[in-house]
Amino acid sequence: MDNLPSASATDSRNTQETLQSIDDWQVLSPIAILYFTASVFKHLFGNLIYLIPALAVSYKSVLEHPFIWLPSILVAFALLTLFAFLSFKVYRYRLTEDNIEIRSGIFSKKYLNLPFSRVQNVKIEQPLYYRLTGHACLQLDTAGSAKNEAKLVAIKLAFAQQLKTRIQSQVQNNTIETNQKNTCANGKEQPGQSADSAVTKETLLNTRKLSDLVIHGITSNRIWILLGGLAPFYDNIFDSVGEGLTTLGIDFTELFSLQTHSLLEVGLFALSLTMLVMLVLVSFSVIGAIISFYGYTLSKLDDKYIRRSGLFTKHEVSMGLSRLQMIVQKQDWLDVLLKRINLQFEQNNSFGKNHSLSATSSKIIVPSIKPHECQALIDDAYPQNALNALVSSNGFEPISKRFILRNIVFVLMPGWLIITSSTMMHGKLTISALVSMLFIGLCGFVVLRWKRWGVARDENFVYLRKGLIGVDYYCFPTYKLQQTQFKQNLLMKKRQLATVKFVLASGSLTVPMITEKLAYELIDQGLYKVESCQKSWM
Amino acid sequence: MLENTFTNPPIPIEQLPTILTLDEQSLSEQYAPLNRFINLGFTLLVCLLGITLYFQPFVNLPKGLLNSLPFFIWAAAILGFLFTWLSYARDLVRSYALRELDLHYTSGLFFRTVVSQPITRIQHIELKRGPIERKVGLATLQVFSAGGEMHTFQIPGLPVDTAQQLRQFILQHKDVIKHG
Repeated sequence: MDNLPSASATDSRNTQETLQSIDDWQVLSPIAILYFTASVFKHLFGNLIYLIPALAVSYKSVLEHPFIWLPSILVAFALLTLFAFLSFKVYRYRLTEDNIEIRSGIFSKKYLNLPFSRVQNVKIEQPLYYRLTGHACLQLDTAGSAKNEAKLVAIKLAFAQQLKTRIQSQVQNNTIETNQKNTCANGKEQPGQSADSAVTKETLLNTRKLSDLVIHGITSNRIWILLGGLAPFYDNIFDSVGEGLTTLGIDFTELFSLQTHSLLEVGLFALSLTMLVMLVLVSFSVIGAIISFYGYTLSKLDDKYIRRSGLFTKHEVSMGLSRLQMIVQKQDWLDVLLKRINLQFEQNNSFGKNHSLSATSSKIIVPSIKPHECQALIDDAYPQNALNALVSSNGFEPISKRFILRNIVFVLMPGWLIITSSTMMHGKLTISALVSMLFIGLCGFVVLRWKRWGVARDENFVYLRKGLIGVDYYCFPTYKLQQTQFKQNLLMKKRQLATVKFVLASGSLTVPMITEKLAYELIDQGLYKVESCQKSWM
Repeated sequence: MLENTFTNPPIPIEQLPTILTLDEQSLSEQYAPLNRFINLGFTLLVCLLGITLYFQPFVNLPKGLLNSLPFFIWAAAILGFLFTWLSYARDLVRSYALRELDLHYTSGLFFRTVVSQPITRIQHIELKRGPIERKVGLATLQVFSAGGEMHTFQIPGLPVDTAQQLRQFILQHKDVIKHG
C-alpha cells in the first residue's frame, strides 16, 4: 500500500485541492488491476454457465488427463491477468470543469465524453478488496443506453464523494433553471432550493436491522432462481446424495417402500425431508438478503434519496426525487401474513436492464418494512398522494367480472377439455380427475386475481392494485406518463369494456377490462395532464 | 411576472379533448396494395420453391418428404393467401391522427388499439425507408419516448412528404424545443 505510485498521490492531492479541473490525463491506482481481474472473472463465469452441462457430462474423461487441463487452466489464468493488467494500463481519465472523459479498451478503443449535466444517476460501489486501501468505483449513468455508462474504476473514496456532490449540484442547478421556466399547475416539487442547499444535512429516513433482513430473506422468492439454475444437476445431486446416504446406512428405497413401512411413516419421512430441504434453501435466501442489504440505510439529502447497503461490496445509489417515476408497494403472501412490505422507488430503467440483482439495480428498494414506515416514506416522496386512504377505504374501482369469464372460458377451459376428454377416452380416470382438480384450483386463482385488480385516480396520481394472494400497489404521478394505449377487441366493444396500458419511463402498467368510459377518461385525463403541465418527466 | 398571465380554470372531465373523436387520417393509398403485393409474392415464391423441389431431377429426396411435400405446398399456399387477405384488411383500417399536442395511431381488425404519444415526451424521431418503400415513395415514421424500445410509436405507410412534414412539425414543436 505504501508504494503506490503517483496516481494515488494525485488523487489525494485532488481531494485537498477541492477539485480543481485536471487538464492532463490521469492514471488509475494499481489497485484497479484487482478490479479488472474480478470483472473479467465475473464476465467469464457468467458465460461459463452455458458450458456447465457439457462439463458435467464429460468431467470424468477430462479429469483423466491432468497434463491437458492443468496447463490450459494455468495459461488461461496468465492470459486473464495479462488482460487485466493491460486494461489497467490503457485506462485514462480526465476531469474538466463540467465534464468527464474516459479512454479505455485494449483492442476496441473507447473514448467517452460525458457532460456532468447529462448524468442521471451517481453510484458509488466499494468492493471488499478496495476497502483496505480506501478506494471506490464511481459509476455515472446517463439516460441513454446501458452501454454508455461511465465508470471511474479506482479512485479514493473521499474523492469519489466530492465528485459526486459536484456532479449532483450541477445537475440540480440545471433542474432548477428548467423548473423556474415552468408554469406548471401543481407545484409539488418546489424548485425553491437556493444555492446554499448544498450545505443541508443528510437526514436518515430508514435503516434495516439484521432481523428485518432475515425476514426479507425468508419472504423473498429469490430461492426459486437458484433452484432453476441447479436444474441440470438434479439427477447428479440426487444420485450422489443417495449414494452418500447408502454408505451411511440409510437406504432410500427401503425408507420409502410401502411394503416395509406404513403410509404414515413414509409420509412423515417425506415431510421431514422436504422441511430439511426447505430449511437449507431458505437459509440460502437469507444469506443472499444479508449479503446485498447488510447495513442498509436510506437517507435524504435535499431532494435526493441515497441508499447504502452491502456486506462485501458496498453500494451507494442516489436518486433525485424528480427522477422518481413510480412507487411500488409489494407484498407477497408471506409478507401479508407477517405484515411486511417491500417498497420500491422506480426510476428510468433504460440503464438498469443489465442489473436485475436487487443490490446493484438503480431502483431503490426498501426491504421488508412495516406498514407505518412504508407510509411515512411514500408520504415523504409524494406528500399529496392518497394511497393509504385508498387502501384503507378500499377506494379502488374493480375491473369487470368478465375478466373471470374470459380467462376461464377462453384460456383455461380449452386445455382442460382437451386433456380430460383424451384421458377419459384412454380410461385414465385418475389423471383426468387430477387435471380437473388443477383446473378448479386455477379457476380459483383467476377469481382471486380479479379480486385484486383495481384502479383509482385523483387529481395528480393514478393508483393501481394487483396481485394474486399477495397484493401490490402502484402509484405514479399522472404527468410522468410517456405514452398511453387503448385496447379493445370486438367482444369487449360489445360489452363496452377496454384495456388501458400506461407506458412510463420505468416500465408499463396494464389495467385490463375496465369500462370503456373509465378507460377514455383515464387516457384523456392523462394526456391532458402531461400536455398542460409543462413539467419534465426527468 | 408569471402570476399576471397565469390562469388555471378547472376543466370538467367531459370537456377534455377525448381520443374517442379523433380526426383520423388514413395512410397512403399505396400502402395496403403494396403490402398485399409483397405478401402474395412471398407466398408464391415459397410455393414455387416447393414445386421446383418436388419436380427437380437432380437430388433424390427421401420418400417421406416427397410424399408429404404437396401437402406442405398446399398448406403454405392456403395459409399465405389467408394471411395476405387478413393483413390487407388490417392495413386498410390503420390510421393516424395529429392533434396540436399529441400523435395517435389506430390499428387492429379484431383487437383495436389506439396508441397516444404526447409530443412533449418525444426523445427522438426516425424516418425509416426500406428499398421497396424508397421505390414507391413511402416512409415509416418512428417516434421514441423514454418508455423504451418496446413502446416505440410508429406510423407505417406514410407518403414521404407527409412523413417529412410530420417530422418537421414535431421537431419545431414548442414542447420538444423546450424539453428535448
